Formats: sequence, structure tokens, C-alpha cells
Amino acid sequence: MADKLSWTELRRAVATRAGVNEKTAGVFLNALTSQLLRGLRADKMVKINGFGTFKLQAVAPRKSVNVKTGEEIVISGYNKIVFMPEVGVKELVERGDSKVESGKSKVESTEIDPLKKLGEQAEEIVGLLADLGQGPKSEKPEEPVVEPEPTPEPEPVVEPEPTPEPEPVVEPTPEPEPVVVEPQPKKEPEKPKKQFHFVRDLLICVVVLLLLLFGGYFFLRSQLTRWMESLAQPKENSEISIQKSEEPVVEPVVMDTIVPEPVVEEPAVEPEPYSDLITIEEMHEASRLTWMAKRYYGDKKYWPYLYDANRDVIVNPSRIKVGTPIRVPKLTKEQRDTTNAETKARLEALRIEAEEACRTK
Amino acid sequence: MLTKEFIGMIAQAAGLSKKDTEQLLATTNAVMRENLMAGKVIQWQGLGAFEIKERAARTIVHPRTGERSTIPSKQQLVFRPVNAMKEELKNA
Repeated sequence: MADKLSWTELRRAVATRAGVNEKTAGVFLNALTSQLLRGLRADKMVKINGFGTFKLQAVAPRKSVNVKTGEEIVISGYNKIVFMPEVGVKELVERGDSKVESGKSKVESTEIDPLKKLGEQAEEIVGLLADLGQGPKSEKPEEPVVEPEPTPEPEPVVEPEPTPEPEPVVEPTPEPEPVVVEPQPKKEPEKPKKQFHFVRDLLICVVVLLLLLFGGYFFLRSQLTRWMESLAQPKENSEISIQKSEEPVVEPVVMDTIVPEPVVEEPAVEPEPYSDLITIEEMHEASRLTWMAKRYYGDKKYWPYLYDANRDVIVNPSRIKVGTPIRVPKLTKEQRDTTNAETKARLEALRIEAEEACRTK
Repeated sequence: MLTKEFIGMIAQAAGLSKKDTEQLLATTNAVMRENLMAGKVIQWQGLGAFEIKERAARTIVHPRTGERSTIPSKQQLVFRPVNAMKEELKNA
């Protein structure tokens, strides 16, 4: 298992497979090493298709303690070399080295992508070469080299030709052509799709905008008419609000008999609807309305509602008798919303009223 | 830095054509893969060692449900850079 493949063995294997002499292979491998170093230093990352990616990862400086003296020392940050195998290679490895043969077929399937890429690259290189006016230099001895196949078979040898061949027209036409043709139809359908998406999005935007405009118009109109009415008959307005408050209050009678009483008695003063109760809590010695508000509503700023809902039992909110049942009403969304100016004013008014009661009674 | 650029750099450094370099690189990849799959440790002079190692099975606990499950062992390709390279890039 732990067999080693030494440097010379590697060089020889590469040389024989590539059909070059060992010296060239050695030069190449050394260049690869030095350039890898250079690339890492420059870009912190070098990607090698068909193998993996080398990365430089920064390790942050950290504090530590000198074990002998107990002194605090700082371990300065440094860079670490990380290698991440390509997905295809990783999968191949994960399948286990005992299944070399099944792995082989895997390689072939994963090769499709690199081949395509190589095909594209070959195309570009061909273009470059054509510009430079250079002809094809080497042909057959290097052809089998391109195939990264573990065991060079007769069939795959034919396939890889397109990539190295500067003139794909001569022999290897079968491969590069399909590769070139494919991306074109792919790219074309993408554009209409995008346009389609764009049009659809635009339509949705327009529809939403229209809806918003209509909603805003009706809202404004209703607000305006209401305002006009209130200007014309200020008294009627208060009556309307009383009616509103009575309507929801009728329902909770089932829950507690005490609830409707104050509302019915003082509807003129009390237009705030507390339709639902969370609970009824008895006052303890340490109870405070603000704390209860914090507990049930999440914020003590809502305490005036508690006073408001229990006017019938609370005379002086800062001196409530121990044992007094305090009704804790559920707050509606509007009542909770302190960003709403109306609600804010209402809370403030209640608070002032309660404080007044503290002082006077 | 991506493969294409890298190949260009190697070609320049080694005095080979880009095409040859590309082929040599592909061959090297194939040779390495083959040898790795055969269970060999590749000692690359001046670079480091490539090796397929077994990652031991381990148990994990789902943080929410507290469920325990095992992740089976698997083979992993690891790279151990040589000290010289480590030191050189430490402060890059």
C-alpha cells in the first residue's frame, strides 16, 4: 500500500507516456513546481484542470501561552497551502483504489467536460496560431499524450486528437465540430429566455403598480370624505366611534361578566375597544401596571391600556389595592403600533389621564 | 490563476511550446491518478507528497434532534507540501 513513487520514477513514467525524453519531462516537472510556487505567491490560487486546485489559505495570528514561563505570546499569522482535488478526481478516489477498473469508466465520463474545454482552448490556440502564421508542428507522437486515460486504449486515442491538433479540419473533425456546434444553439435560447423573463417581470411590476395606485386612490378618497364629514358634523363623529367600540365589545360577554359593564356605563369616555382578554391578574404588593404591560405586551410603554381597561376598579393607578383583579386585554395590531400617530396620541392621552388620576385621587 | 495561464507560465519557464506543455500536464495528471489509484504515494521533489488516505468513520450528532449517525470512512486525496515550500509561502 505505502509504496512510493519516487521523483525519478514519476519523471520516467511521464516521459514514456508522453513520448519525450526524461530530461524534457524533468524540465517540465521542475518548471511546474517553480511556476506553482510563483502562481501561489501571485494569485494565492492555482487551478489545474483534471487534477485540482492549490490554494494559499491565511491563518490568522492568535494568542498563546509559553508553557514553561506562562508568558503570553502571540503566534503570528501565516499562510498555509491547501490542495483541493477536482470533483471528478475526488469521486474517483472515494470509490476506492480497489475498483480501479470501474474508476476507469468514471474517468471517461468525467472527461467529457475537460474535453469540451480543451476543445474550446484548442480552437483559440488554432486561431492564435493562424494569426501568427505558424503551421502545425508536431502531430502523431504527441496525440496519445493528451488522453489522461489511465490505460491508453485504441479507441480513446482517436478521440483526443482534436485538442492538440491545430488544424482540426484534416483528421479529427468528428470531435471539435460537435463541440463547437453545441454551444451555439445553447447560447441562443438563453437570450430569448432572459428577454422573456424581463418582459414578465416588467408586466408584474406594472400590474402591481396599477393595483397600488388604485388602492391609494380609494384610500385617499375615503379618508377625504371622512374628513369632510367630521368637519361638517364634529358631534356625529364621536357617536360613530362609540358605535364602533360597542360592536366588538358585545362578543366577549361570554368570557367575563365584568367586561361589558364599564364599557356600557362610560361609552362616551371610552371609545377604545378591548374585545378579548388575555387573563385576569390579581394585584400583589409588588405588582406594577408597567411590569404587567412588559410581561404581557413585551413593552412597558403599553401600561396606559391596562389603566384604561380597568377604570372601574382603579381609582389611583399608583395606589391600587392589593387583590384587585386587573383585566389584561388583548391588544389589536393598531393598538400596538406606536409608529402610528393616532395610536401614539391615544396612548399619550391615556397616560396623561392616568397620571392626572395619580395626583388628584 | 487558472489552468490556461498556468500552462503559459510553465511553457515560458521550461522553454516548451504551449501545446507540448498542455500535453505533458495532461500526461502527468494521468500518471499521477493511475499511481494514486494503485495505492502509491507520489513524492514530488520540491513540491510535496500526494497520497490517498483513508478518513476514519465518525459519528455526528444532529444539533437539533440529538440524533446520532455515522459517517462512513472514505478515501481522500491529500497533499503534504514539503517544508521548504511551506516556509517559502508562509509570509507570501
